[in-house]
Amino acid sequence: MSERDFHPLVKQLLDGELTIADLPAELRAEGEEALRLLTGVDRSPVELPAVTQRVMQTLASRPAPAVPAWKRVMRPREIRLRIRPWVLAPALAIAAALILLIWPATPARPAPLVTVRFVLVAPDAREVSLAGTFNQWDAHATPLVRSGSTGVWTATLTLPAGQHQYAFVVDGARWVPDPGAPAVDDGFGRRNSVLTL
Amino acid sequence: MLTLLALPLTLLGLQQGMAQRLAGRVSPTVAALVEQLGTTGAARGLPIDPLIQKAIEGSAKSIPDDRVAAAVRLVATQLDTAATALREGGPVSDTLAIAAGAFAINAGLSGSDITALARVGASPQALTVGLRVAGTLAALGVPRAENIGLVSTTLRSGQPAESLLLLPAHVQSAMANGSTPAAAAAGLSRAAAAQARHGPPPGRGQPPPHPAPPPHP
Amino acid sequence: MRPGAEPKDGDIVRAVLAGERERYAVLVERYRDRYARYAARMLGSADAAEDAVQDAFVRAFDQLAQCKEPDNFVGWFFLILRNRCFAERRRSRAEAPLEAADSVAAADRTDGGAETAERRRALQLALMELTPDQREVFVLKHVEGLSYGQIAERLSTSIPSLKMRMHRAYDRLREQLRDHT
Repeated sequence: MSERDFHPLVKQLLDGELTIADLPAELRAEGEEALRLLTGVDRSPVELPAVTQRVMQTLASRPAPAVPAWKRVMRPREIRLRIRPWVLAPALAIAAALILLIWPATPARPAPLVTVRFVLVAPDAREVSLAGTFNQWDAHATPLVRSGSTGVWTATLTLPAGQHQYAFVVDGARWVPDPGAPAVDDGFGRRNSVLTL
Repeated sequence: MLTLLALPLTLLGLQQGMAQRLAGRVSPTVAALVEQLGTTGAARGLPIDPLIQKAIEGSAKSIPDDRVAAAVRLVATQLDTAATALREGGPVSDTLAIAAGAFAINAGLSGSDITALARVGASPQALTVGLRVAGTLAALGVPRAENIGLVSTTLRSGQPAESLLLLPAHVQSAMANGSTPAAAAAGLSRAAAAQARHGPPPGRGQPPPHPAPPPHP
Repeated sequence: MRPGAEPKDGDIVRAVLAGERERYAVLVERYRDRYARYAARMLGSADAAEDAVQDAFVRAFDQLAQCKEPDNFVGWFFLILRNRCFAERRRSRAEAPLEAADSVAAADRTDGGAETAERRRALQLALMELTPDQREVFVLKHVEGLSYGQIAERLSTSIPSLKMRMHRAYDRLREQLRDHT
């Protein structure tokens, strides 16, 4: 009923979009009533120091967080990563330099393990991880670390000699091949990067 | 490194192994398909790992089941083509070589390219590496003729596997300096052929000199 | 990471998922008071808030593998706490007003005068008569100080629908306060 409801202008006052001075004279009293209502708002902070210990005690006997047995399948999303063109050339050179640097010096037989550094320049990313044949394509298993403010993300892994495919996962959802590596069709409309060790 | 001929595994052990690797990572539908293709493939000496990897990859990328199934079937076909091509080139059919051949086919090479490399007569281990490298070179854009030419020459020169494995990096380096993939590969072919004729350059066994790291962008 | 730098939420989440469950305490410590006030105003008392926040942290741990953006753990945790607050409300509607009056009065003995304490108690009682959705938008805007835009983003809804909720809340609060003073 309109008698009991606040006038729309008074509601705007309550929302903070108007001041009491903006109200016409006949609404001033109602406006003041509304502001008095707001003085009852309790903004004092609430502290719950006991929560930490109680939570950790409860968790002590709890099973580890379970990965769902089967995830719901979602429609794949379009992947777009803005890479400024000048980034590609240095990344290629970095990739080539790194592979040559880490090659074992005088192997009588091929070394079974090779250390590889993965690099992605992605200044706008909030998080980057690596997923590939060496970690069951798990987008959470191998996060890259961002160095300072340059937007250069790196991870160093030791992998067995052999053939590997991988991609970067940006912000948990965008699958991006390594701009500095050879790429092949992944069979799903995207590209995987290739690492042949 | 010994190469093993594909030995027939007991059916139950094989299926249990596959089921374990797929459990929790792919849908039941996809798992059933992989187990079916894997079992029949293994009976013909084909590797199962590429099928499992593709299924896990598709699920990790949240691809719908029907497209994952299509991709897995494609891998199975590529494995068949590679196995056939290898058989035409020599007596050995090694599961690692077959998997490498399937990778090369996915990268754009043909069955006849696989056969050509098999006919060089290198050891199964070297052939496997050669196929992986050929696939990687194809992924870099090296045309088939220059690609097979470079890999066969390198295989024939009897150099150790490491020389093969360095080819993609050399090609990428040359490309970063402005070469086309074809020209880069051709240049490396000439160097490999020269090495085969004149023997290794002095200092063989040392790592090649590496370019100075580029400045950070 | 620089030595001594605060570990990011995402790093802690990943460490916990990798088996280092003791590190979850860092997240609890970091965020346990962030939404304590929201929970207290939603549920009517600090005791109820403590139970809700504790339950929410335990639930978040159980479901940690499903946190899609580990670096935004707190946003995801808020939604779990919110669900818990809404569930609690349905369970204990009958007891809430009395609890609210007692705990609000106790908290206010230290600040403001008797009049302020009375107004706060009255408003909290009135808030408990709103629907949870109405109460929530009021709490987020007037207690937590968020803008409509920020609330819309957090609750994945539109500003116009929030305003509609809020304006109904204003009318109901006015009605409650008139009828009980």
